[in-house]
Amino acid sequence: MAWVTWRQHRSQVIAMGALVATLAAAIVGTDLPIRAAYHRDTLSECLPPTSRAGCDIIVRHFLGQFDGWVTALRGLAVLPALVGIFIGAPLLARELEHGTHRFAWTQGVTRRRWLLSKTTLLAIATVATSALASALVMWWRSPFDTLDGRISPSGFDIEGVVVPAYALFALAVGVLAGLLFRRTVPAMTATLIVFVSTRLVVLAFLRPHFLAPLHRTAVASDTGRQAGDWILSDTLVDAAGRPITAGREDLAVLHAQQAGIDPHSYLVSVGWKRAISYQPAGRFWEFQLIEAGLFTALAVAIVLLAIWLIRRTPS
Amino acid sequence: MNAPPLDARALGKRFRREWALRDCTLTIPKGAIVGLAGPNSAGKSTLLALAAGLLAPSEGSVAVLGRDPLREPSVLAEVGYVAQGAPLYRGFSVGETIELGRRTNSRWDDELVAHACSGASLATKVGALSAGERALLALALALGKRPRILLLDEPFAGLDPLAGREFLKLLMDGVAETSATVVIASHVIADIERVCDHIVLLAGGAVRLTGNVEELLESHRILMGPRRPLGPIRGVSEIVRERYSGRQATLLVKSDDVIRDPSWTVEHVALEELLLAYMAPERLPTPRPAERAALRWHG
Repeated sequence: MAWVTWRQHRSQVIAMGALVATLAAAIVGTDLPIRAAYHRDTLSECLPPTSRAGCDIIVRHFLGQFDGWVTALRGLAVLPALVGIFIGAPLLARELEHGTHRFAWTQGVTRRRWLLSKTTLLAIATVATSALASALVMWWRSPFDTLDGRISPSGFDIEGVVVPAYALFALAVGVLAGLLFRRTVPAMTATLIVFVSTRLVVLAFLRPHFLAPLHRTAVASDTGRQAGDWILSDTLVDAAGRPITAGREDLAVLHAQQAGIDPHSYLVSVGWKRAISYQPAGRFWEFQLIEAGLFTALAVAIVLLAIWLIRRTPS
Repeated sequence: MNAPPLDARALGKRFRREWALRDCTLTIPKGAIVGLAGPNSAGKSTLLALAAGLLAPSEGSVAVLGRDPLREPSVLAEVGYVAQGAPLYRGFSVGETIELGRRTNSRWDDELVAHACSGASLATKVGALSAGERALLALALALGKRPRILLLDEPFAGLDPLAGREFLKLLMDGVAETSATVVIASHVIADIERVCDHIVLLAGGAVRLTGNVEELLESHRILMGPRRPLGPIRGVSEIVRERYSGRQATLLVKSDDVIRDPSWTVEHVALEELLLAYMAPERLPTPRPAERAALRWHG
């Protein structure tokens, strides 16, 4: 089956490799000015955990200078979806659409073994290329990770072991969608929808609670802030710790103005503060492993479902 | 290993609410070349797909070489199946297609395939082949498995007469080599007549007639004579079809003895006419439609 898989999917695997090669070229090309700026003495003396006077401006300048590139790199979060759309979805849909499954599934290899071998081999190719892409991104982002952390989604989603896990999940969703829709374009669309919505649900509702968030309070500037914490919520609370509604805030400002006091110093004087809950930067790898495990488990479950279903698939 | 190559028991397949095949019971004898005849949408393709393990029966069972093709898909290694239109990967070259057959079949026989493909260039893309060449390639791949049963779904559709003849020659050579049992589904009776020694006639999803071609032709007669009220005729066990034109009556009958009544002119029947008579819904030997309606609740 290895030969068959390679012959049928080599163009897709080559395209995947070409994409990573392009990414590598872009990464290396853009990395030069970043490294030059990063290794300048003024910045290298300001790297955490050292904190000197005047470092803030240097660090902010460095981050601001390359902000556009960092934002652009976040777009790489869509790459795993492409694996599902262009490799996973057509895997079965094309066969069923063209009727070639009647040829493929009546050879000496049972269709379950056929699907299992193909999916496994393509999964290996997917993991290899996406791990490479992830490593490239981690290398490129390492200055920003040092200064700004990587547990917040802008770094987390395109670094580490979650990237291959996302790609595997997309591949599995594509395969199952192809089996259920039996046509390539609907299967591709369904793959995109399922992939994006699952990612968003996990990001918004599950990932913040992988481990219990930490809490701290701050008055004006958040002095407790460690570079790279993932801030989950930042609420205004009164001295007793109760959250303050927008109405109450307006009322307090009004009171202060009527009394002729500066509203902002008034709020501080009555003990209002910010309650911040966050995931500390140090939990990056724990979170990576949890999220990657979740998506890999989903991928395996989906592939097993497809293998179970394919035997009963009318053809 | 004495199981019949194909054995269906009360086999039925329903697509949504339509029965494509219903209550099909038949046994195909070993070594036979069976013509699976019937009009379009008679259930021929459905029967073959069930036998090839591509479909799951809605009721009843089908055994190929004594095994259930869905539960024991390993039997497919010994089944050669060519689907309608001979689907193959269009982007593969001829050589790569053969390589695929070699890699996915344990019983592969290179010599058989080489013999079958001797005329074709291995570098040609399958998509560039003519319908006839593609059908030949598909048949060669099916033969390369050294099948014990070969299932061909409308293999002659879309082939010009010359390609059809080449296909037949390859088929007959392959059958001689592998001594496979063959089932050929076709709605063109002339194609079936050229090769088959057995007939299974399907119409409306049900088996109408099955048997050895020679025996069937021998046991049926055409009687022509003046029109008259029909009583029992000596030597006739069943009247399959009656036709009248003016004062002339033409009967297609199943006979179990020599018909001696001199008022009838007795003639042999051609296979095509025999099959058409059994296909014709207006005069069926058994009242099937009523029974089908009653059975629908069991689906």
